[in-house]
Amino acid sequence: MSATDNMSAVRPDLIEKVTGRAAYVTDLAIPGMLHGFVVRSPAIHARIVSIDTSAARSVDGVVDVLTGDDVASFGCWGVVLKDRPIIAIDRVRYVGEPVAVVIAETIEIAENAAELVNVEYDELPRATTIQEAIMDNAPLIHERHENLEDFYFKGGARPTQNSNVFHTYRNSVGDVDAAEAAAAYIHEDRFTFPAISHFAMEPHAVIADFRGDSLTVWAGAQTPTAVQKVLSRLYQLPLAKVRVIVPFVGGGFGGKASVKIEPLVAAASWKVQRPIRIAQSMIESMLTCRRLGADITIRTAVDAKGRILAKSAKLLLDGGAYSDTGSAVATKAANRIMGPYVVPNLRLEASAVYTNTIPGAAFRSIGGPQAVWAKESHMDNVASAIGMDPAEFRLLNFASRGERIRPDLRALDMDMGELMGRVTQSFAAKAQSSNRRASGLAVAATDPANTPISNAIVRLKIDGSILVSVSSIEIGQGAHATMARIAAQTLKQPPSAVTVLRTDTAVAPYDWGTGASRSTVVVGLSVENAALDAADQILEMVADVWELPRESLSLVEGGISTGSEVLTFHQIFHRALGVDSGEVIGRGAITPRSKKGALAESPLFWETSAGLAEIVVDEDTGEIHVPRYASAADVGRVINRVAAEGQDEGAAVMGFGHALHEALEFEDGQPINATPIDYSIPRISDVPPVFDTILVENGDGPGPGGAKGMGEGAILPVAPAIANALFSTYGIRITDLPMTPEKVWRALQKRS
Amino acid sequence: MLPSPFEFDRPSTIEDAIRGVGESGDGMFYSGGTELLLAMKMRVIHTDRLIDIKGIFGLNRICLNEANDIEIGARCTHAKIASDPVIREHVPALSSLCANVANIRVRSVGTIGGNLCFGEPHADPPTLLAALNARLVLIGRDGTRVVPADDFIRSELETIREPDELLTLIVFPCPNGPVTYRRFKHGERPSVNVAMAWSIDAGKATIKGARVRVGALGSRPQPLKVVEDALRGLPVREVRSAIEAVLTTALDELEVNEDRHGGADYKRHLAGVLLLRNVEEAISVGGGA
Repeated sequence: MSATDNMSAVRPDLIEKVTGRAAYVTDLAIPGMLHGFVVRSPAIHARIVSIDTSAARSVDGVVDVLTGDDVASFGCWGVVLKDRPIIAIDRVRYVGEPVAVVIAETIEIAENAAELVNVEYDELPRATTIQEAIMDNAPLIHERHENLEDFYFKGGARPTQNSNVFHTYRNSVGDVDAAEAAAAYIHEDRFTFPAISHFAMEPHAVIADFRGDSLTVWAGAQTPTAVQKVLSRLYQLPLAKVRVIVPFVGGGFGGKASVKIEPLVAAASWKVQRPIRIAQSMIESMLTCRRLGADITIRTAVDAKGRILAKSAKLLLDGGAYSDTGSAVATKAANRIMGPYVVPNLRLEASAVYTNTIPGAAFRSIGGPQAVWAKESHMDNVASAIGMDPAEFRLLNFASRGERIRPDLRALDMDMGELMGRVTQSFAAKAQSSNRRASGLAVAATDPANTPISNAIVRLKIDGSILVSVSSIEIGQGAHATMARIAAQTLKQPPSAVTVLRTDTAVAPYDWGTGASRSTVVVGLSVENAALDAADQILEMVADVWELPRESLSLVEGGISTGSEVLTFHQIFHRALGVDSGEVIGRGAITPRSKKGALAESPLFWETSAGLAEIVVDEDTGEIHVPRYASAADVGRVINRVAAEGQDEGAAVMGFGHALHEALEFEDGQPINATPIDYSIPRISDVPPVFDTILVENGDGPGPGGAKGMGEGAILPVAPAIANALFSTYGIRITDLPMTPEKVWRALQKRS
Repeated sequence: MLPSPFEFDRPSTIEDAIRGVGESGDGMFYSGGTELLLAMKMRVIHTDRLIDIKGIFGLNRICLNEANDIEIGARCTHAKIASDPVIREHVPALSSLCANVANIRVRSVGTIGGNLCFGEPHADPPTLLAALNARLVLIGRDGTRVVPADDFIRSELETIREPDELLTLIVFPCPNGPVTYRRFKHGERPSVNVAMAWSIDAGKATIKGARVRVGALGSRPQPLKVVEDALRGLPVREVRSAIEAVLTTALDELEVNEDRHGGADYKRHLAGVLLLRNVEEAISVGGGA
């Protein structure tokens, strides 16, 4: 096999991407298309006194300028809370909020004219941090909260009226107070976690074409059906008249999930009734959304033997100026701070609050890195306080396979002790560490919100080629290659026979969206069902036309074996239909009622990970080097090994960014490093020279062939594993991320 | 983001380039554009006209001249300097500095002259060039002037170069002792860097003179005079103790900004760490005896 064949076998999109042929939204041009440039708020929280667009409008080539007045009548939109105007109407709530869109013949004209839009602001009192936002007399960032129940996620938000708290989730098991009263030891810690930028290589880019009562949108959206739904409601268009087309997407990580700039671009197109393209810069996308920062207090009570008796956690999440899916992030953060331990008494409270900063959004394992950073650092602190080895302390308290971490969640479907053992052995098998090297461990078990709702269409053509149509987005993770393999395996055809269509809601059947580690399992199952349906139809055709018993027939490469001969698909269609043409269309659906309701319980599977970091600290500078890292995940079954390992490695490297480099910083609400120059992410040279990915396969997942979802777990253990190594060997405990050299150096100074 | 509209000109002589910039409005010289174009796209720098100097012959030469000075054309890219045999042989520290400036895209098109003229405090080359006692040749409408690298950067993002003066050449004496450079960075640009150049006597036992510069802490590279004084005339074997004796005093004299790269005390401390590491390297590679 040539190198390119090899790449195509792994991922059919790779050749297109490395040769630059892959088309992203920014590469598309629609006839008659105009360009929009967004004028953004420089104010942190302000009333808009006036917007003067006359100078911009008078520029040659400027077609129109969209402002809040144009769209006020459409009202607000949201996916959980309806709190967001299409464009700022009378008030701005964060630096970077869209205030006007200059629409022009060229992008150059639009951008130049944007400098001429004159906006007068009257500053309002602001709340720019969690602490400021929850003060008694804090200025209200939103006066009222309109909840959309079951709109995007099951359930909705639980806002506190007349406050900036837009959601609070509580869950309690047993009696924490009584357990603490009986405990041998109680330990409490507080951790903080910064806002983090998604930093996808492709910034948000959208083309919208509003024509009369129909709207077509080209967007790098992870959840095209959510975009379709929000646009349909906002502009009062039938769903069938709203078409969302998703070409290649250059990374999303949650930053392109739910709905982002699509309503804004659609409004611009609505105003001029021509296609409009808005392609944001990296900086603009950094001002569009980010991971929620957190302030977490966690307390554990143990008995004399080190068994956990009770755990309580209070999590405050910084949701920024608009809620987006911040309420779900808070709920998930609470769920993700528990496991994978047996905790008989539990008290969880998580709140998401508005602040005058860039809106928070979903980001790879929503709420997970915040929660796991706190809980796994805390686990080592508790172990140390009671004089136990941290690995032993974990082993003693792990929930076993089949045991419930909390009564309302599915029982743990894997062996956590095995996973931890695998990363530990990974190091032991290699050369001995020198004595200056320290290692630290962390584990995670998270409950992906993988919503078992999906549809797929699989079409078997007369020549044996197969077309798969799903709403899963190929966002770089290899979802389409995975769907191709599932269809190929089910129909017993080579993967090269399968083509997966880029997503277009006009063609692709409904699916909830690409995120929450759900595609391989949920969409994969619907592809498997659709392929089985197609197989059924072609087998039935042979049984009927050739008058053979159905049991004697089986699919083989290129056709169907009758036992005595192989009929090609060509022969089958030709004889059955009388002409040399045709196809069968298989349909597969997954709902919470599929598989006798087995998919309904949450989570569909536990996404689990263990990480072991070996670090060396330059004590003179505080710089942390990570020469070795081992990452393990129970994935049930690997469908595409290169892609699966890539997802695990990619998630872990993103975790290195969170651990050592990244924080989107604000000074009194003003973003101070929201540029690719000032915001630092890991480079290839920062990746540990020795990196082990261990994928545990027991074929016991709910997906095709026993697969579980993956791709979000490996980000979780990295920061606490590194922090635990710092703690055990260097005697310092870092409680806020990232662990910059200066922070480490200061902690080392304080220690000595 | 896109820059505001501008004209583009590519003259073939220095004279035409200077005339082109000076004509009217605010033209600017352009070569790699790795800083300038970014700033124009972010609209923090506005210019009517870019004068591309890549068409001018001879601005990208590197040689050791008859006066035993090393000459580097201002338009040499970092990548070219990094791989140049003359630089590799005589100033390996500069070669390695240029091999590690920013990232591979910047090194491929960004130039040493452009780096100097931008006046960015968190940059690598200015510190080492100042330690090498480099002279910068500026050609303007009224003739040529030569200024020491130490005086070139006036303050943050500001140099003494007039807008219609073209930096053409960087010249410095071929080192006759170890030259060392270290930086600390956690992000795109160095937080602090330290360069040190010794001239050594023929027997390789005594330091005749030393130039030490600390960069990125203030608006421009700063000399560590106390350390230079302590090293002058000192036998190499006594260097460690001599520097340790004056280090605190020397570091206290530095002007240190608090910025995103760290607190003043931390960065001052880092300067000391880098200096001592440079000293160890200088002793092992050059001091020899």
